[in-house]
Amino acid sequence: MKRNTIGFILVVSLVIFSSFSFGQDLLIKNGTILTVTKGKILKGDILIIKGIIKQIGENIKGPKGIKIIDASGKFVIPGIIDSHSHIALTGTNESAEAITAEVKMRDVLNAEDRSIYTAISGGVTMVHTMHGSGNPIGGENIVIKTKWGMTSEEMIVHDAYRTLKFALGENPKRSNSPTLGTPRYPQSRMGVNAIIRREFLKAKNYMEQWDRYLKAKNSKKPVKNLIAPRKDLRMEQLADVLRGKMVARCHAYRADETLEFIKLSKEFGFKIACFEHASEAFKIARELAEEKIGISVFLDSWAYKVEASEGIAYSAGYCTKKGVLVSINSDSGERIRRLFNDAAKAMKYGGLSEEEALNLVTINPAIQLGVEKIAGSLDVGKHGDVAIFNEHPLSAYTLCEKTIIEGEVYFDRAQYLKEREEMEKKKRGEEKKKEKKGGTK
Amino acid sequence: MKIKKNLLFICLFALILLFTATSSARVTPTYAIVNCKIIPVTGSPIEKGIIIIRDGLIESLGPQGKISIPEDAEIIKAEGLFAYPGLIDAHTNLFLELPKQEPRTPGTRRTSTAGPRQKEKAQHPDLMAVKLLKSKKTDVAGLHRVGITTVLVVPERGIYAGQSVLLNVNGVKAEPMVIKTPVALHVNFTTASGTYPSSLMGTMAFLRQSFLDTEHYSSHKSQFSKSSRGLKRPEYNPFLEALAPYVVEKSPVFFNCANLEDIKRALGLIKEFKLNGFLTGANEAWRVADLLIKNAKVPLLVSLNFKPPKTSIYVHQGEELKKKAEEEIYPANAANLHKKKLTFALTSQGLKKPSDIPKNVQKAVKAGLPKEEALKAMTIIPAKFLGVSSFLGSLEPGKIANIILTSGEIFDEKTRVERVFVDGIAFEIKKPPKGEKPTKVNIAGKWSATVSSPMGELETILEIEQDGNEISGSISSNMGKWEIREGILSGNELALSISATIMGETMDLAFSGTAEKDSIEGTIAVQEWSMELKAKRIPDGEF
Amino acid sequence: MTKRIFIFAVILIICASFCLTQEKSPSVIAIKGVSIIPVVGEDITEGTILIKDGLIEAVGKNIDIPAGAKIIDAEGLFAYPGMIDGSCYLGLQEISSISATVDYRETGRINPQAKTVEALRPDSMHIPISRSNGITAALVAPSDGLISGQSGLIRLVGWTPEEMTIKSPIAMHIQFPSLPRLRSRRETKPPEVASKQVKELKEILKQARYYQKRKDAAKKNLGLHLPEFDEKLEFLLPVVNGELPVMISVHADKDIKAAIKFVKDEKLKAIFLGVTDGWKVAEDIKKSGIPVIFGSLNSVPPKWEDGYDAFYRNPAVLAKAGVKFAFSSGSASLAKDLPYHASKAAAFGLDKKEALKGVTIYPAQIFGVDKMMGSLEKGKVANIVLADGDILELRTNIKHVFIDGKEVDTSSIYTELLEKFKKR
Repeated sequence: MKRNTIGFILVVSLVIFSSFSFGQDLLIKNGTILTVTKGKILKGDILIIKGIIKQIGENIKGPKGIKIIDASGKFVIPGIIDSHSHIALTGTNESAEAITAEVKMRDVLNAEDRSIYTAISGGVTMVHTMHGSGNPIGGENIVIKTKWGMTSEEMIVHDAYRTLKFALGENPKRSNSPTLGTPRYPQSRMGVNAIIRREFLKAKNYMEQWDRYLKAKNSKKPVKNLIAPRKDLRMEQLADVLRGKMVARCHAYRADETLEFIKLSKEFGFKIACFEHASEAFKIARELAEEKIGISVFLDSWAYKVEASEGIAYSAGYCTKKGVLVSINSDSGERIRRLFNDAAKAMKYGGLSEEEALNLVTINPAIQLGVEKIAGSLDVGKHGDVAIFNEHPLSAYTLCEKTIIEGEVYFDRAQYLKEREEMEKKKRGEEKKKEKKGGTK
Repeated sequence: MKIKKNLLFICLFALILLFTATSSARVTPTYAIVNCKIIPVTGSPIEKGIIIIRDGLIESLGPQGKISIPEDAEIIKAEGLFAYPGLIDAHTNLFLELPKQEPRTPGTRRTSTAGPRQKEKAQHPDLMAVKLLKSKKTDVAGLHRVGITTVLVVPERGIYAGQSVLLNVNGVKAEPMVIKTPVALHVNFTTASGTYPSSLMGTMAFLRQSFLDTEHYSSHKSQFSKSSRGLKRPEYNPFLEALAPYVVEKSPVFFNCANLEDIKRALGLIKEFKLNGFLTGANEAWRVADLLIKNAKVPLLVSLNFKPPKTSIYVHQGEELKKKAEEEIYPANAANLHKKKLTFALTSQGLKKPSDIPKNVQKAVKAGLPKEEALKAMTIIPAKFLGVSSFLGSLEPGKIANIILTSGEIFDEKTRVERVFVDGIAFEIKKPPKGEKPTKVNIAGKWSATVSSPMGELETILEIEQDGNEISGSISSNMGKWEIREGILSGNELALSISATIMGETMDLAFSGTAEKDSIEGTIAVQEWSMELKAKRIPDGEF
Repeated sequence: MTKRIFIFAVILIICASFCLTQEKSPSVIAIKGVSIIPVVGEDITEGTILIKDGLIEAVGKNIDIPAGAKIIDAEGLFAYPGMIDGSCYLGLQEISSISATVDYRETGRINPQAKTVEALRPDSMHIPISRSNGITAALVAPSDGLISGQSGLIRLVGWTPEEMTIKSPIAMHIQFPSLPRLRSRRETKPPEVASKQVKELKEILKQARYYQKRKDAAKKNLGLHLPEFDEKLEFLLPVVNGELPVMISVHADKDIKAAIKFVKDEKLKAIFLGVTDGWKVAEDIKKSGIPVIFGSLNSVPPKWEDGYDAFYRNPAVLAKAGVKFAFSSGSASLAKDLPYHASKAAAFGLDKKEALKGVTIYPAQIFGVDKMMGSLEKGKVANIVLADGDILELRTNIKHVFIDGKEVDTSSIYTELLEKFKKR
């Protein structure tokens, strides 16, 4: 164990003290490559230079001295993307008020959260970590790469969409928490909708105030005694949503509240990138496909509250067949490590093909997050984010052996097993010593 | 009868007060400290030197032979002793009597009808430490014993905790101690309970919004003062008034950084709002050394508390690593910063009592911090940070006579502080009881004691707590409840230091005697008077 | 007139016999051309299974199919025994956050009188989902408190609780003191607290023994006072008399050792449930002879030093040490995932065949119903699953499920809602 920790500390310090080099060089050889976008290569190689995929094919020869991973007999897929999570954050929800658009997950990133390690042990390389669902309008989310051991700022993915969390239904209206004293408004779906509308109307009013001020300030006839309006961070965030600088990611379970939110988005002209959970999406697959709004769902986690009581396992597969962009998420520091199992279930419940199932945790969430140019598939020019499995990733018998981000190995099961063995050996040695000394405690 | 007894006792104590010289006299004697090794910190050490103190200042200092001793000087033979500048602790919570925390009304936990006023109630940037000073003789003694002569008294509760005051620990009365007030505004990355902001993310947004609001408020005010015609007058806002000097006029703002992410948060805010920011706490600062190098202009104060923060990876990977973190890794914080050529001050933030300070400095030195750097970090560097280096922080002629005389090199394990000068006033350091014998006697519990003096008897109840040899607890009587500030039980010998408050004045009573399982006997000494104390244990179950 | 009546009667009789023949389920069903994984015995390709009167009449190659048998062509399919869930809340919970729908937890700490089979909701929406994934029987268990109540084994088909109950009680459930909560980082309670509670357990068992003695004595001697009826003690009698095993939920290694000692001292028949730290004390468990039912493998081990895969590799370690084991879903809404705990254990070192046994013959043996179920052998009940692949695999589709020889409906709220909205 000591060696592990010393090793860890060394790695961390080396990484911190080394210059901000973007990524590493790596050559993965002889694996069954599931590219996601360009089919399967039975015995293929991937060449990554400075963290970017430079070549995919057969019999690639890399530069001299490059680190080589032999993936014979293994399956190589793009790093898995979890598009709804709360890991790596200090705190999840600002619950004291119903509208908290001003809070940012960027401010509370925690690179030391163990869940990051749990994620890489399951092949996850990118996570959209979010504000909780306790508020009709929550805060600004952030996309990070699961670079365990690096600093929080090094994990941030800057190319992703800016997203603001919205929530409908039981959680923001506090149906399932005990209420002491005066309940917080809103307590009904009517109120949830109304409060969101109210805030956008306030935001429009705020934007108008600033527009008028700027006009007056810059006009040829200067207005006397002009003071700027107060800069309100909450309103600025909502203004950014209205201006198209941020997209909405809305937690919704029931079909009806989902449709109502789409109406709201049209009322104010803002974009919804994705509905989170969307248990009843199968009921409105048509509308979601027409509006080109994606969903990010659990495959089969359901029946934990009333609005999830019709969350059938067929929903993800059915919606995919109907042309909706579907991703599977974990929303959990535990489920995050078996997203590939959930994807496999979509073949059974929903009749998806292998490729369609794998898309649910790779390219689909990448598109939803706006990072498809750098992640979500194994394509030349994208980041070298790769997960290597010992069996087909959609088999129940598989496990993740290596997780690689931008050419750097962040999780290595072989290394982990070696360290465990050493630790066990050491422990046994220590126990023998104790026995010799005279009686184990 | 009781009233009569009390009156007698009050008279006795009043007499004692008259003769106790605890307050600083107007005129301080001139001193000549001779034959000691002088470590000025801002110059080379002088092997055998003389320091002349007059009117609270260092009049002169230099090698023996070069400095003449004035006629009116009281000579202090300091052979074998070392003279250092009095240490500066840039974070203490001593001397502060905070208003009682409002009890949380049941039922307000998960709700919020938080209007703007309720928000501000939880934050109190206008809390002035100088208005809440309460000095205790035992605190003064404790600080002197470890060589600390100047402290920054910092309010610690809340997001905007309040404004600190710098004190010279020269006695028991609060006002004469004040050097500078306010020194800084203190900010913690904590949350408000039951109201906004109730999460760290909320606190960050709240801080930013309050800085923006302060700027807006100030600009409105200044615009109004320039031309008020036609302009709506700004609404008075005490919260923003308190913040204005710091946000607009750039007075110092101290950010308490409990972990490495707090350091990043603080630096981000300092940059965004161009604040005159300081980082404090920061006991894992070494982990973001590169970032600190980039921000070297931001003064860094580092706590001697080596407990890893709860978020630290070192705490979550097994017991072995956790132990190593507390005993080896975190104590090396200062040493690592020094290796990176970073400048920092050392503070006692988070430590439970002053006696922990030298212990932890020794740990830091053992972990690789050069002793000279540790000394600088508690003298000239904090003086510079706090803007008082023109008159504190080193032994130079013209500076304030805050001097400590130690039996050996400072921060050595065996070194004791023998004498302390603060503002030129001399303080003797009471020796801790020698040769502690391990004790088998357990005197924890409730005791009924009679204190008898020539003037009568006082019935008291003793409540004693025992931790090995260390004794603490209280003595209650109808004169009040007095704290047993310090106590040592060595074998059967019991020595106690009691902090008694009589008629608003606090004084130290020293008890020495013997203790058995069920009886304690001894004498309490105050100045020249002594009173006998006889105590019998109250059996369990009886009141 | 009589002629008319006669003709009418004949027509009636013909109709009646017609109806009767239509209502009667086929007395013999033959599943043909199927690859058989009987679990006990060798796998058979191109095999036949004959079902008669609810039981397996024959299993093998080249079996004569009697005339009149209903033939199911299972070309390309695989036949497995119906799976058995080692512990779950099927029929005892609909929506976990709505307490009105939750009936496997009682208030108070000592509830030996509580019987899960008496609270079953046969119409639960979760049962058809589990059943349609090849699970044909399940232990429905109580939870919480110190002594939670009695579990029972049910078949996943039936209109009434009685129709569903195969055997009850199976065991008396005990939550062994100082159970660490796996999701929180809190460690086990300090030893004094734990041992106080173990004392409490021992005390109540002692009282139950004494209660039995007094009852016995009173039976023999009319002059003696009959002990006052005590509900708690009354229902603990089968435990102290060695008739009813205890199922002990226990996780931490120290607690497992303490539980083994407890079982030995109290001379109880026992089964352990959960046992997440079992790999640390595998030898001790093996020596004790106590079988183990694993809970859901899907939690993150609270101690970093145990390794991220501690719960996943736990079954392999215990199986290697020779401990008898079974898997459970520990759920109602995710009871259908029973096979995937087994395959996850197989991914992390458990032999695949052993994994399959962990959801078929091993739970049957642990619950004492192995003569009835758990494998495809002649004489056992015809609980058969026909699938297009390995039933422990995630993408396998289950085509047919037979319970007690009758093919069961594999529709569920999942399929009903899907069909309904497909029409949109």
